[in-house]
Amino acid sequence: MYRNQETLNKLEGFLLDVEKPARYIGGEPGSVCKDRESVDIRFAFAFPDTYEIGMSHLGMKILYALKNSVPNYWCERCFMPLPDMREKMFENEIELYGLESLDPIKEFDFIGFTIQYEMCYTNILEMLRLAGLPVLASERTALTPIVMGGGPCVCNAEPLADFFDLFAIGEGEELNLEIMRLMEQCKIENRTKAEFLRMASQIEGVYVPSLYDVSYNSDGTVSSVTPKGGTPARVRKRIIHDLDKSFYPENFVVPFVDIVHNRAVEEVMRGCIRGCRFCQAGFIYRPLREKSHETVINQTKTLLKNTGYDEVSLSSLSTSDFTNIEELLCSLNEWTKENRVNLSLPSLRIDRFSERILTEISSVKRSGLTFAPEAGTQRLRDVINKNITESDVLNGAKIAFEGGYSSIKLYFMFGLPTETDEDIIGIYELAKAVVEEFYQNPDRPKGKAPNVSISLSMFIPKPFTPFEFEPQIGEEEINRRIKLLLDARKDRKVSISYSDSKLALLEAVFARGDRRVGKAIYTAWKNGCIMDGWNDYFDFEKWKQAFEECGLSMEFYANRRRGYDEIAPWSMLDMLVSKDFLIEENKRAHRSEPTQNCREKCSGCGVNDCPVHKKD
Amino acid sequence: MANVNTRVFFSKTGRAKFISHLDLYGVFQRAVRKAGLPAWYTEGLSPRLYLQFMLPLSLGQEGLREAVDLKLLDEISFEETAKRLSDALPHDIQVIEAAAPVMRNTDISSAEYEISGTIDLNGFREFCERDSITVEKKTKKGVSEIDLKPYISSLEISDKITLRLPAGNDFNINPALLLGAYEREFGKSSGIRIVRTRIFNSSGEVFR
Repeated sequence: MYRNQETLNKLEGFLLDVEKPARYIGGEPGSVCKDRESVDIRFAFAFPDTYEIGMSHLGMKILYALKNSVPNYWCERCFMPLPDMREKMFENEIELYGLESLDPIKEFDFIGFTIQYEMCYTNILEMLRLAGLPVLASERTALTPIVMGGGPCVCNAEPLADFFDLFAIGEGEELNLEIMRLMEQCKIENRTKAEFLRMASQIEGVYVPSLYDVSYNSDGTVSSVTPKGGTPARVRKRIIHDLDKSFYPENFVVPFVDIVHNRAVEEVMRGCIRGCRFCQAGFIYRPLREKSHETVINQTKTLLKNTGYDEVSLSSLSTSDFTNIEELLCSLNEWTKENRVNLSLPSLRIDRFSERILTEISSVKRSGLTFAPEAGTQRLRDVINKNITESDVLNGAKIAFEGGYSSIKLYFMFGLPTETDEDIIGIYELAKAVVEEFYQNPDRPKGKAPNVSISLSMFIPKPFTPFEFEPQIGEEEINRRIKLLLDARKDRKVSISYSDSKLALLEAVFARGDRRVGKAIYTAWKNGCIMDGWNDYFDFEKWKQAFEECGLSMEFYANRRRGYDEIAPWSMLDMLVSKDFLIEENKRAHRSEPTQNCREKCSGCGVNDCPVHKKD
Repeated sequence: MANVNTRVFFSKTGRAKFISHLDLYGVFQRAVRKAGLPAWYTEGLSPRLYLQFMLPLSLGQEGLREAVDLKLLDEISFEETAKRLSDALPHDIQVIEAAAPVMRNTDISSAEYEISGTIDLNGFREFCERDSITVEKKTKKGVSEIDLKPYISSLEISDKITLRLPAGNDFNINPALLLGAYEREFGKSSGIRIVRTRIFNSSGEVFR
């Protein structure tokens, strides 16, 4: 088993002086070590956030195991070190290394970032710097390492275009291996980086930003996106058609330290039938594809057996929409009970919540419940196409309270298109009605008060959603609305928490930004911005300064209504849903018209070969 | 079938020294599950795998013969338990043997440590031979001053330092405390390894 002895020795010297050293040393059960001499392609899977967050991410687990299943490929992990560790690395001249071999990742063939949320962008730059590499793609001239990006944020990769060599658009299982195979060939043929990138751009799902020219109108909007040298005008996202036949890991890397989601995860489906208009995942992961019950059960058992975990989560965007979920839970439950395994279901829809689901999930351990009504009034829920009613919410709460729960968390979005003061007061009133539901239960625990917490997150208009045309409301207005809600709250059994509006503004800028925004990211990072998703580190003033220095306006990107005919910065990407469909959905939103879910009626979103549609 | 009390002796070396005592429970818990051992769970509202570590080992220190107790429900040989558990544990934690417990964890009264690294051995010997070595020790009640000198026994210095210190859940002296006192006066040494080699009861017998 290979390990870089020099780095190991250095690490041994100081690792006890950093917090939770087990995060920086590797060697966890399930981690894959190979003989360096027998490996042809090395891939650093980089997660631009802490170990605890990155290690909880399912996509990494799938792609890590997949790449390592090829005998001559070796995939390692790498995360963002915290400040105490960064300081020690600097003092001891250690460059960012892969956790398996402890070799510096700049020696690898690929550094692949998964980009899950906008606020990690500066971390990507910092990790490249820690690796000892220039952050600008144009300054990295050698064939390797190729810096690539994937994950939901790359459906508008433009703000990151200067830093990356290529982006992998869509689902990565087949695509990653194809890109690695190309590298294997290019290394044998002694190709240049330019040659590799040109060849890679011919693979469906590969977007090479340097092969597209972008020009702008005098008003700052994009006037054209021009592909160079025979690259396709639009890059189509990749999807896996049959999840039953697709690769799924039989084992995970099980960390020594506790992480955010420290459990086995079985992905039961991809895509979502709902089409909530604010939700990017609901559109970019279409079409809906499910695993068979048999696959889910077998994979779950295998994972639990190999990892030793005592908890498994059945994961998807909306697991309660999984076909015959109750039967699945029943057939799993006998086995999970016998083996003392706790079954958890994230993303429960309140209208699909039933006593039976509750019994199945709570048989071992009982925690709080979270539901997401998203908006306070029926009108606004129709605008966003969250097809649930107040009575769905109250009925769900009733079942939960009768099932012994006393605390419920309700997620709402704030600043949604067409939102009025009435909608905001409606948030409190809905929470209040849930509190009252608790007292309707004759068997409620005596002397115990319910706890209903409202969690508000700011609406961020995202590409490839019907709200990609919508402005985000300004900061003053956000603060006025928050105050309105706080003032409306009388009942102390209802608590309210909300996110930082400045952070939301930046997220909105990055989500729909163009290539020029990359300059501001670079400048802000140079001025010390890092770990922006963390309250302790986020420094809005520095960001404001950076945008000013670059002559860019945040408002232009975040707070402006965009015309239906405007060329979007991300227009070179084809996420399968059609723009006409998004425009039609946007119009329906403004008429407060909901759209039926994919199972009820096909809405013609533009995705071909949709398995839901085919059943009709 | 009655519970079979089983004491597992294991080493925790190399990278495993970075696993904290708190995290070690999870590591063993998952290993017991992976090994498919018929382990006993506590009864009550949230059943928990019964695992009792005999003596915590500080983060960063290695142990050659640590001990943890569990209860097994079915007849399974100690050899089989040791083998299956060892296979399921991370590389740097190895099971030495499984056996029926002889002593209780309250019987533990001292432990032997080996300290090595780039350190002035003569200087350290002279330091340990002083009449008193006063340090601040954190206890449950707060910080108090304590003289380590009377607690150091069986000090031997060759190419490394070997010594015994009181150990146990009631009173425990961490060798890092002694080393820290030395370093405060003579500067930080580098590449230090602290290895707990053996654990003893009050009669000086090896803990079994």
